[in-house]
Amino acid sequence: MIQKKICMVGVFATGKTSLVRRWVESIFSDKYHSTVGVKIDRKQVEVRGTTVNLVLWDLAGRDELEDIKPSYLRGASGILYVVDGTRRETFDQVFELRDIAARTIGEVPSVVALNKSDLRAQWQLERADSSRLDDMGWHNFTTSALTGEGVEEAFEWLAKLTLGDYRGEVGS
Amino acid sequence: MPADPTRPLEPPEELGAAPADDGSRDGESFAKLRELLLGEESRQLERLRRELDESELSVEELAERLPGAAALSSSQDDQLARALAPTIEAGIDESVERDPQRIANAVYPVLGPAIRKAIAETMAGFVNAINRAIEHSLSPRGLKWRFEAWRTGVPYSQIVIKHALVFQVEQLFLIHRETGLLLLHEHVDEAGTKDPDLVSGMLTAIRDFVSDSFDAEDEGGLADFRVGTLSVLVERGPEALLAAVVRGQPPTELRLQLEETLELIHLQFRQPLAKFDGDATPLEPARPLLHDRLETILTTDRPATLGWAPRAAWLVLALVVLLGIVWTVRSHLAWERTLRHLEEAPGIVLIEAERGLGGWRLRGFFDSDGADPGVVLAESGIDPQDVTGEWQPYLSLEPQLVLARTERLLEPPPSLELELDRGRLIARGSASPRWRARAVRLVDSIPGIAGSDLSDVELAPSDELNRMLREVEEVHVLFRLGSAELDPEPRTRVEALGPALARLLDLSRAEGYETAIELVGRTDTTGTEQTNRLLSRQRADSVRDALVAAGFEVPELETTGVGMSEPLRGEDPESTSRINRSTTFRVQLRPAGPASEVME
Ligand SMILES: Nc1nc2c(ncn2[C@@H]2O[C@H](COP(=O)(O)OP(=O)(O)O)[C@@H](O)[C@H]2O)c(=O)[nH]1
Ligand SMILES: [Mg+2]
Repeated sequence: MIQKKICMVGVFATGKTSLVRRWVESIFSDKYHSTVGVKIDRKQVEVRGTTVNLVLWDLAGRDELEDIKPSYLRGASGILYVVDGTRRETFDQVFELRDIAARTIGEVPSVVALNKSDLRAQWQLERADSSRLDDMGWHNFTTSALTGEGVEEAFEWLAKLTLGDYRGEVGS
Repeated sequence: MPADPTRPLEPPEELGAAPADDGSRDGESFAKLRELLLGEESRQLERLRRELDESELSVEELAERLPGAAALSSSQDDQLARALAPTIEAGIDESVERDPQRIANAVYPVLGPAIRKAIAETMAGFVNAINRAIEHSLSPRGLKWRFEAWRTGVPYSQIVIKHALVFQVEQLFLIHRETGLLLLHEHVDEAGTKDPDLVSGMLTAIRDFVSDSFDAEDEGGLADFRVGTLSVLVERGPEALLAAVVRGQPPTELRLQLEETLELIHLQFRQPLAKFDGDATPLEPARPLLHDRLETILTTDRPATLGWAPRAAWLVLALVVLLGIVWTVRSHLAWERTLRHLEEAPGIVLIEAERGLGGWRLRGFFDSDGADPGVVLAESGIDPQDVTGEWQPYLSLEPQLVLARTERLLEPPPSLELELDRGRLIARGSASPRWRARAVRLVDSIPGIAGSDLSDVELAPSDELNRMLREVEEVHVLFRLGSAELDPEPRTRVEALGPALARLLDLSRAEGYETAIELVGRTDTTGTEQTNRLLSRQRADSVRDALVAAGFEVPELETTGVGMSEPLRGEDPESTSRINRSTTFRVQLRPAGPASEVME
């Protein structure tokens, strides 16, 4: 069995914790967030017949850019960036966050979740934004922690990437 | 470089040069001869020379290639390291011999922190042990340990260590340091093991959190933390952490053992650790090392419970000891109480009190007018049989005892009260003349009496005597009208009176009185004065005759007839006449002179 550390990265209230909660049944209560500053969950996925044990690190707090500690990112095999689709600025900040991560641990397989897709009325992103990410080689998914749309796909895609499978074909 | 066998034979440059310079035939033939004799050798020499030239060139090349070669070799196996080790060791030896300071300087930055860490951890362990000792010294458990120390003769400190260090390593986590991912997990039983993957992550996160928060990165990271009786010891290595979940009080040695285990794992699994990318299978062979830790430490875990039989034995022993203590304390208290009572008791002087195996032994003086030692012992709840007493009689001059002695000797009547005033006896109230005379005679010879004043003692018959007097004086012996003859019924009364009169006389004499008993005869108012006086006299006489006839004959008995001159008063004329036809008794007491006392 292969284990991989995955970090959730994104500005405050973009939906990192909600996405993890949507995907994983947690054994730790959310109070660990405030006490230890990080919540850790685990989920197994099958990638081409291999069981991958994803250990998800979700940082608590305001997630100011300078707040991302090296110890949090250290050893991560993948990063799930989360953008709040109803707040344009969170999209712009993702690039800064990526720079910080790259400085700390180098280039790491990453996926971007454009979250809160259920809030169509407030949606502030355009198809061009998604294409821009595609062009940069950043696979991105439109997700909703509320409806579950795209959540599983995003995590599983990231799992594949961590195994060095960049062709991006979703397996079973 | 082996020589090419197909190459045409050419004389070596050097060897061929000399004959060429000669330019003679001799030289030519000599060369030929030499070729014949030494051809093979010279070829070999040539080969060697070339090889030497070529290897000179490759030394420079070697310098360039050596680092790469060394890196390659050590990534494949540790053959190079093994080969170099003796040389390096020898080099270090020589360097130390030449100039020890050089090596010392080089090693210093490494050694310093290592020594500091070692000292810090030793101190922490020491402080731990002291804390535990203090923590337990006053608790019930502490007392139990003190008892055990006393019972076994082992120093208390060792007992504390023995018990305080009961612990069990329940779980061990080998954690990849960089990712926080779990490499290996070993545990004693399934209970209490939730989800080791997550625990491992959390442990790392907590460690990071603490070192980030307090800038403690270089101090060896978070050492341990405690929740209730569970401790988590975290040992940090370059690639991996070893976390031990320990129930109970982990001793300092445990940390050392964990350190050793972690070092061993780093030594034997350096490659798998360094190249870890999420697959922990290569570390699987390290599992027995962890398991050993669980086992080794468990064997030092001492069972704290006793079996049924020794427990019962201890219980009985404790009970016996308890009873013994209770008995000893009670007997001690009784002893103390008894001694106090004896000392407080009047007329008892305790000189010696011993409490030995054979029982109690008391020695002292006692005044027979004071308390009886035997009674005091009995009242204190002690069986006088259990005590050997040696009591010498003595006379106490304590006022209390002097008074008691005086009262015993003088026997004052209830109507009299005796008092001591600084040794002087004072008497208040009334007593008989006889008592006073005797008291005056005896009082000065009573030990402890330093004088007396009995002049205030009122002389009076005792109550008993007074009562007898009244009884006698109330008697009316009645007669028929005009007769001085006793009817049978009054006669029996008179005869019965004899003994009463005798007792009266005895008592009054005893009290120091001279007694006169007068029988007074009377008549009613009928008849003349003269006949009545005669009749009354006859009436008194006939009572006296009756008494005498009954055996009561005493000189003190006088008779007189008053006729109707001293009439008694009745309730009505009828009864007045009746009670005046009678004889009554009149008794007179007079304090006797000294002569009558002698008669006693
Ligand atoms: N409508 C909607 N709300 C979301 C979604 N994801 C998160 N939220 C809400 O956004 C807020 C912040 O979410 P949280 O997961 O705490 O964000 P975090 O700070 O990134 O961990 C919460 O009130 C969530 O309920 C989503 O997909 N749709
Ligand atoms: Mg959150």
